[in-house]
Amino acid sequence: MIYLDSAATTLEKPQSVPAASAWAMTHMASPGRGGHPASALAADTMYRCRELAAEIFGVGDPERVVLTANATHGLNIAIHSLVRRGATVLISGYEHNAVTRPLFARPDVRVKVAAGPLFDAEVVYEAFRRELTPEVDVVICNHVSNVFGFIQPVDRIAALCRERHVPLIVDASQSAGALPVDLTRWGAAFVAMPGHKGLYGPQGTGLLLCGAETRPLLYGGTGSQSRLQEMPDFLPDRLEAGTQNVCGAAGLLAGMRFVKEKGISRIHAHETGLARRLMDRLAGLPGVTVYRGAEQSGLFSVTVDHMDCEEIGAALARRGVAVRAGLHCSPLAHRTAGTEERGTVRFSFSAFSTARQTDRAAEIFRQIVSQGKRAR
Amino acid sequence: MVHYLFVCRSLTHAQRTAHLLERAGIAGSVIRAPKVISKEGCGYCVRVAERKLTDALMVLRREGMAPRQVFLQSAEGVYSEVTA
Repeated sequence: MIYLDSAATTLEKPQSVPAASAWAMTHMASPGRGGHPASALAADTMYRCRELAAEIFGVGDPERVVLTANATHGLNIAIHSLVRRGATVLISGYEHNAVTRPLFARPDVRVKVAAGPLFDAEVVYEAFRRELTPEVDVVICNHVSNVFGFIQPVDRIAALCRERHVPLIVDASQSAGALPVDLTRWGAAFVAMPGHKGLYGPQGTGLLLCGAETRPLLYGGTGSQSRLQEMPDFLPDRLEAGTQNVCGAAGLLAGMRFVKEKGISRIHAHETGLARRLMDRLAGLPGVTVYRGAEQSGLFSVTVDHMDCEEIGAALARRGVAVRAGLHCSPLAHRTAGTEERGTVRFSFSAFSTARQTDRAAEIFRQIVSQGKRAR
Repeated sequence: MVHYLFVCRSLTHAQRTAHLLERAGIAGSVIRAPKVISKEGCGYCVRVAERKLTDALMVLRREGMAPRQVFLQSAEGVYSEVTA
């Protein structure tokens, strides 16, 4: 299979990742729940995971790195912590349902959208500058659109938020491991990310970097202050009720070690190089629109005139090419880009994708489009 | 043998404390806090050797990680809080 769906989850992992998770399964017990070696080993792994994440993502204190089940979990905690009754929240025009649904579930909250055209970071920034009015309580912005790979001007949006003293939540789902992500430099309130995409960890892992006061989403045992019925007021315990995903954390630690060793800038260059290579090959095909721009990471979307995106995705799957078609859980991003009615076919790359796979996928895509045209 | 126990608010805090000490060349082991000194239940400590107390406290104060409480564990296993 030619796997070009890494924006959903990276399928090929460094060998150390499944090995670490499998080993943890039978050697590590519950961290913080006992003083025996198997518990201590688990605790040590969890700590190393926080420590490495703190180093990679500019968090001064490993205690402010919270392990979550995925980015959605982290975003829900962040929104629950900051968005109060009657609040006004400003979001970008490229947010995922992981942001919009928790906000929609709060009818007492007003949502404003700072929308700008695809790949025009200047206009997007101007939209934020215009819409960040005094009644805005929280800003939420993803670093990279999961549909189009558009790299949003988060550095400048963060500076704007700092200047206007408005807390910022960054969804780094598509950038963690591929672009510099730095909680301290941004001065962000929260940065949420999955462990299973660009960090090459197992599914069911994620990280929430905390730069602000937090409010628990889940209540229960933490292995600390057990006599008290209130949740602890310190991190990470405050946000980590219940037994944690130790096997996942062990794999995530191995994945982050791989990213650190490989180098984020090298991974980014590799992925964007392959994305450009495929975009160049698809752009010349009749009826094919490739959504591309200067501010783009290692993923992109296409549409084909008179062909259904899901049918193209299914045809590619039958020929051994894995992509994702449809709305990608981001109807707002499609609305902003004008593709909501048709959806798109998305191609996304990882550190393990190759030029040969890319060229083969281009050829298969060409054949599918050509056959689709002939059948009409 | 006499030890000192630095009481920490959480396991992660204890791990961070031990890590800072380790980087300064001071051995500190993370252990569960004995029940008699863990008033809130289920706590963690970092245990250091008697002769390392002063150096350890200096390192932790420098890092803004001074322990909430320090207990002396006597050779007989009796705990007594140490106050500055």
